[in-house]
Amino acid sequence: MSRALALKPGTGTALVRHIILFIVAAITLVPVIWVAAAGFRTQISLLIGEFLFTPVMTNFTEVLFSKTSDFLLNYRNSLIVGIASTILCVGTATLAAWSLNRMDWPKWVVHVFLAWALVFHMIPSIALAGAWFGMMRTIGLDNSFLGLILAHAVLNLPMALWLMAVFVRDVPVELVEAARIDGAGTPTILGQVVLPIIAPGLAATSVLTFLFSWNEFAVALTLTMKQTATVPVAIAKFAQDYEIQYTQMAASAALSILPALVLLLVAQRFIVKGLTNGAVK
Amino acid sequence: MRRTVEQFRGSTAMAQVTIRNVKKSFGAVDVIHGVSIDIKDGEFVILVGPSGCGKSTLLRMIAGLEQISAGDIEIGSRVVNDLPPKERDIAMVFQNYALYPHMTVADNMGFSLKLARVSKDEIKTRVARAAEILGLQPLLERYPRQLSGGQRQRVAMGRAIVRDPQVFLFDEPLSNLDAKLRVAMRTEIKELHQRLKTTTIYVTHDQIEAMTMADKIVVMRDGVVEQVGAPLDLYDRPENLFVAGFIGSPSMNLIKGKIEGGKFQADGGGVFPLASVPAGYEGKRVIYGTRPEHFVFGAPDGIEAKVVVVEPTGSESMVLSRVGTTELTTVFRERVMARPGETIRISPDTRLVHLFDEASGKRIVSAH
Ligand SMILES: Nc1ncnc2c1ncn2[C@@H]1O[C@H](COP(=O)(O)OP(=O)(O)O)[C@@H](O)[C@H]1O
Ligand SMILES: [Mg+2]
Repeated sequence: MSRALALKPGTGTALVRHIILFIVAAITLVPVIWVAAAGFRTQISLLIGEFLFTPVMTNFTEVLFSKTSDFLLNYRNSLIVGIASTILCVGTATLAAWSLNRMDWPKWVVHVFLAWALVFHMIPSIALAGAWFGMMRTIGLDNSFLGLILAHAVLNLPMALWLMAVFVRDVPVELVEAARIDGAGTPTILGQVVLPIIAPGLAATSVLTFLFSWNEFAVALTLTMKQTATVPVAIAKFAQDYEIQYTQMAASAALSILPALVLLLVAQRFIVKGLTNGAVK
Repeated sequence: MRRTVEQFRGSTAMAQVTIRNVKKSFGAVDVIHGVSIDIKDGEFVILVGPSGCGKSTLLRMIAGLEQISAGDIEIGSRVVNDLPPKERDIAMVFQNYALYPHMTVADNMGFSLKLARVSKDEIKTRVARAAEILGLQPLLERYPRQLSGGQRQRVAMGRAIVRDPQVFLFDEPLSNLDAKLRVAMRTEIKELHQRLKTTTIYVTHDQIEAMTMADKIVVMRDGVVEQVGAPLDLYDRPENLFVAGFIGSPSMNLIKGKIEGGKFQADGGGVFPLASVPAGYEGKRVIYGTRPEHFVFGAPDGIEAKVVVVEPTGSESMVLSRVGTTELTTVFRERVMARPGETIRISPDTRLVHLFDEASGKRIVSAH
């Protein structure tokens, strides 16, 4: 910011620039703030559109602690599914990226593989949900974490593969060859040379994968039941046949943003570095 | 792998390298067309040739980074054709150093020992010893990004010598350094070799590097070996036109023409003296080769040449001149004050003239 100011041709343009920045920030933040604020309202206050309201904690206590609410369970479920599917997905993507880049495949194999991954990524996940439900039920994985973990890993695999392919490709070949001459086999090369170098990219990919899993709704709705439901499914459940519990919904939504917020704050440096730098130099 | 430096030095392991009719093709493209080289134990051999001639490919086949399409490579007396790099007991220094960016200098140097499960203490001792040899002690805890080009180069060498391999392989290790540092490192690598006496194969496209450092030079072109020999042998007796033009700087004057009446008649004009005419070459077309530094300046019976440019370097003068349309590069110890357009008299030292057959490009073995 101070740099932008230092480069300014005049105070007038700096002012305009800041107004624009402010508007963009507002467009991004206002909905989030509005939802979070709605979590502190009563249903009536929200429906009559009161502007100034007295904050209440009932929505949050209701969502978190009432006997009828499963929100903490859903939260745990989301964490389990998110973490496990991220590890599975990014692990697979990294090995696949290594194979595609460094194992002397004919060029067309690599291209077909990456193109196919992209096409798969373009299929709306809702279109897959029904088929997966049938498959999972046949093999007994419906209403289990494993089923949803597999589904999320597969859904995110194309994106993770594309990202990791770029990071792995940028690792200089000579480093790998030097390690080979130093006596390292492929597992050692991957673990002790390649992974440390692509760590920023790996972190960025993991964060994105985790967030996609955290937010994924359609497949989670299809493959889970009460015991295994994830946060987005639980939030949707506030919209019932005769009543929509807007404020509890808002409180849950506000709570569901927290992990994303924490992750982004912690990993922001990596994400920016990983996604802009190509991880190596 | 676990022997210590002392044990290794005391051992009689002979690390000669024998390359026998080795070929390499990438798909349908033949890159190395049958190369044979004998490298003695402890020898410093340089593979030199223009860029793209297959030097790196050959070195990488010796290292085990590239499959051999045909032929045999022996290290010590083992055929290593199908051994992975780590079982060949070699170390390699790459052009861009290939230091592990996430490891300190000490860890970079000790990585191979760690993989070979050498004890921590032993690794420390050996890294310290290599660091001392290369003057790297103050840098051991730094990361590669905190080092200058020359320091990185030295760490890459440290990583190689820590392992105490049978053979060192270098692929253009100095080409990323500035000119001054390159000259300094040349001396340093040469000294290191004299100290360690490890068989070394060194690739460069720079013939001066080859001339100054090698015990033996292998000149390559387009995947074949043109000539093998000691640096001065190549300088004194190039076997063919390519080696004649490649070795020596500035490069040899190679003039087309024919032998008439015991003298050489250049196509572009000018008559050049010969010590003697090789048997059967009177009246034949040949190439007359004479090095710029093998001319006498101001000889009264010399050839008349018109000066084009004079480039004094202080210690000597380089003169570009013309005899008819034949261009001549000459270097004299004297200061040449001639101006462009003036005529000077120069005379090649006939004992140091090389004759090549025009058709085959091969050296004509003469009587002298
Ligand atoms: N992996 C490869 N695939 C195809 N051609 C290659 C490969 N590596 C090298 N070449 C070709 O082989 C020839 C020799 O290359 P190289 O050994 O690197 O030459 P040098 O080191 O002498 O400059 C070049 O024409 C190069 O294009
Ligand atoms: Mg090369």
